[in-house]
Amino acid sequence: MWTRTVSGRALHFYLAGINNQNFLMRDEETGTWWQQITGKAIYGPLQGAALELVLSDELTFGEWRSESPAGQVLSPIAKYTKEYDPNWEPDVAKLPVVISFPGTELKSRDVVIGVTINGAARAYPWETFAKQSPVLDRVNGAPLLLVLGPDGKSFRVFVSRVDGRDAEFFLQTNSSPDDKSENKTWTLLDTLIDSQWNFQGCATSGPAQGKCLDRVPALKDYWFDWRNYHVDTTVYKH
Amino acid sequence: MSAPSANQEAVHRTDRARTSLWLWILFSACAFATVALFFIPAFIIRPFRYQAPRPLLLAMALRQRAPLGTLITGVACFFLAFALWKTVGRWRKVLIVFALLIVTFSAVMARQNYFEWMFHPIAGPQFVAQSESKLDAKEMILAVRLGNNARAYPISQMAYHHILNDVVAGVPIAVTY
Repeated sequence: MWTRTVSGRALHFYLAGINNQNFLMRDEETGTWWQQITGKAIYGPLQGAALELVLSDELTFGEWRSESPAGQVLSPIAKYTKEYDPNWEPDVAKLPVVISFPGTELKSRDVVIGVTINGAARAYPWETFAKQSPVLDRVNGAPLLLVLGPDGKSFRVFVSRVDGRDAEFFLQTNSSPDDKSENKTWTLLDTLIDSQWNFQGCATSGPAQGKCLDRVPALKDYWFDWRNYHVDTTVYKH
Repeated sequence: MSAPSANQEAVHRTDRARTSLWLWILFSACAFATVALFFIPAFIIRPFRYQAPRPLLLAMALRQRAPLGTLITGVACFFLAFALWKTVGRWRKVLIVFALLIVTFSAVMARQNYFEWMFHPIAGPQFVAQSESKLDAKEMILAVRLGNNARAYPISQMAYHHILNDVVAGVPIAVTY
C-alpha cells in the first residue's frame, strides 16, 4: 500500500501491464510506469521517484473487526462479484511461474513474509513461521518479533524493544491449540519487564501497560517475487 | 511539334514506376511502424511469460509513444494508400485494404488499456460499516489505519481489481494487491 502523493501532486494509478507476475501501474497524470511491489517509477517522466509505503496489515476480517469497531469495509462492486474468486489463494498458487531461482533455499511458490529493515531484507518461510510463532530474530542489528494472530492466519511484525531494551516474548494460550474459536485467550508475555501484550503489539497489563511496540512493514509474498526484487535477501532458518 | 518519341515515353514509364515503388516502400514502412507500436509491447508484456529488463524497457518506451506514433504513421498510411490506389490492380488493392484494416486495429489498440478489460478498475469505491459487512470472519483483508480511520479491503476483491485509489483520513493512498 502506497501514498499517492509525489512532489505535492496526488496521482491516480491504473493497471498497465505485468512484469514477471508482478503488476505494472501507470499514473493518469504523467503516464509514468511504476512497479507495484517496489513502488518505484521505472519508466517515464517521474522515473526514479518512489512512492512512500503506508503501513498495512493482512488480517482475517474477524481479527480486524475485533480491533476496529468503527472500521469501514470496501463494498463489492455488484457488476464484478462473479469475477471475485473466493478461492483466490489456492488458485493463484496454481498459476505458472516465469522466473525461478534454482539453488536458493525455497521453491518459487513458497509463501514468505518479507521484511526490510536497516537496509537488509529477510524472508521468513510461512510454514516455519506459523509453526514457531512468535519468532524472535535479529536483522542487521534490529531485534524483530514476528507473530501469528490468534486466528492462525493474520500476522504482524514488530521491533522487539521495550523502553530501548531488547525484549523476548513467548506465547501464552489458555486453551488447546485445536480450539479454533475466536474467543480463545491469546497473550504474549515478555521476559524483560513481565508484561502481557496483545496481537496489536500493545501491553494490556503489567509494568509496560499502555505501551505499544514499533511496527515493521512486512509483505506476504511468493518466494520468486520477493527474491526477484530483493536480490540480497537472506532466508530465516531455525 | 512532333509526337513524343518512344524513348520519352519509356522515360515517363520508368519515372512512374520509380514513384510507385517509393510509395509502396513508404506505405509498407508506415504500416509496419503502426503495427509494431502496438504489437511489440503487447507481445513483450504478456502474462505468464518472462520479461527481461531490456525488452521490458523497450515495451514501455513504445507503449508510451504509441498513441501519438500510431496517429502519425496511421494517417500517413491512409494518404499513401490514396496515392497508390489508382496506380495498382485489383489484388494490390485488396492488399492495401487488408493493410489498412490492420493499421486501424493497431492504432485503436494502442489507445486501449486491455489489461483493464480483464481486470476492471473500481470507479467509485463504496464502503460499509464493519457491522454491516457480509464478509466471513475467516476472509482475508488488507487493512490500513490512518488517524482514527480504519479501512479493510477484502483480498478476494483486490486480487481481481488489483488497484484502488482511495483517500483515508485525507491521505491519498493506492491500495494494491
